[in-house]
Amino acid sequence: MKPKLNFEWLHACSGCEISMLNWGEQLLDLFDQVEIVHFPLLMDHKYGGQLGEGAPLSLPEADIGLVSGGVAHQEHLQVLQEMRKQCRTLIALGTCATHGGIPAMRNQWSTADTLHTVFTAGTVDKEISPSSAPAFLDRVYSIDEKVRVDVSLPGCPPQPQLIGAVIKALVNKDAFQLPQKSVCETCPTIREGKKKMAPVQRFLHNADYDRDQPVSEMQCLLEQGLVCMGPVTAGGCGGKDTPLCLQARVPCRGCYGPVQPGGNQLLDMMNALASNGIDHRALVDRKSLLRFSGAHGLLKPARKKN
Amino acid sequence: MNREQKIIAFCCNWCSYAAADLAGISRLQYPASIRIIRVMCSGMVHPEMVMHALAQGAAGVMIIGCHLGECHYIKGNEMALARAEVITDTLEDLGYASEQFQLTWVSSAEPERLVEAFRNMCGRLAVLQSEQSADHIM
Repeated sequence: MKPKLNFEWLHACSGCEISMLNWGEQLLDLFDQVEIVHFPLLMDHKYGGQLGEGAPLSLPEADIGLVSGGVAHQEHLQVLQEMRKQCRTLIALGTCATHGGIPAMRNQWSTADTLHTVFTAGTVDKEISPSSAPAFLDRVYSIDEKVRVDVSLPGCPPQPQLIGAVIKALVNKDAFQLPQKSVCETCPTIREGKKKMAPVQRFLHNADYDRDQPVSEMQCLLEQGLVCMGPVTAGGCGGKDTPLCLQARVPCRGCYGPVQPGGNQLLDMMNALASNGIDHRALVDRKSLLRFSGAHGLLKPARKKN
Repeated sequence: MNREQKIIAFCCNWCSYAAADLAGISRLQYPASIRIIRVMCSGMVHPEMVMHALAQGAAGVMIIGCHLGECHYIKGNEMALARAEVITDTLEDLGYASEQFQLTWVSSAEPERLVEAFRNMCGRLAVLQSEQSADHIM
């Protein structure tokens, strides 16, 4: 019997699902190896059975469960808890599920402030949201803050090859190792050392490079003064090749989250700049360095000053 | 004084830990909320360690090193100084108060200065706490 697979999305954009579909022909091999029982993006399968005969929000049992997106309101939480109950192995897929991702940027404000800004500013509506809408949680959580997670697979989106490799390893009961190095470790650009560091500036002009030459002939973007988050970001986005953003000659945005599970990209980046003698205050909008990893209580509303 | 409150003080082995030792021998009194952690150099205290202490519930964190120019490892305390600026700036970003962190220089012959720094930190945190509880009531 083929192992069964659930693929649920929470506070997500469907990019992770589309990344998996982008795998090309190898996806068909995967469909031969597993039986998909619940996958809202691909198939019509309703909570509580097709005729609504089951309990509300009930899901089928599965061997492998994939969850993309973080947890922002009560319904996300209930669906996630049901996924955990029904799936033997639960995979957090994508940075939203592992570290909060872009939606967790709202953790900089209180939920009341966010609702007010989004739903009442510029309208005459009195009510913020219909009373039938699920209640918002106090902030956006990554899923490992709410349930036990067996495998964390970050990325915005994760590379299709990596998703496929993990699922295949689980199906064949093979051991697998996720990349544990930073983006810099897989980056081929030329690094000249600490003395060559330029002051940081905003990315308002392109990096200095020769377009006829490969990336390995370009000087490190951080040394060129562009805020590249490579040193504080988990690698793996380019597979064995150059990291994806670097292939496009732009600095790393930090989308794979911190290198170590408990890391703080903002703090680590500031520390890296300060230890190399660069004025970290030249960096405007520092908080955006946590743009992909604001869950786990890292981004919080600013303290009220008297 | 709040008996529940804990202040983590990272003291470098060569100056400030020796000063704390001397403070003990000299029977100088300082608040009981201080918890000293000996490190080899103030420059080895990564901002993550400070943030971890605060996340685990410490009321405040101090890094205490040798005076500038007197570091046992030549430039360790300059590293601590650069990192302290980062910590002070980032604390506010991460929802803490910048008053919860303090960097101080103390030589091994200055136990009074160390005790003074401990007392100041405790006083500052008490003020901060009363402000925060006042906000809470409002």
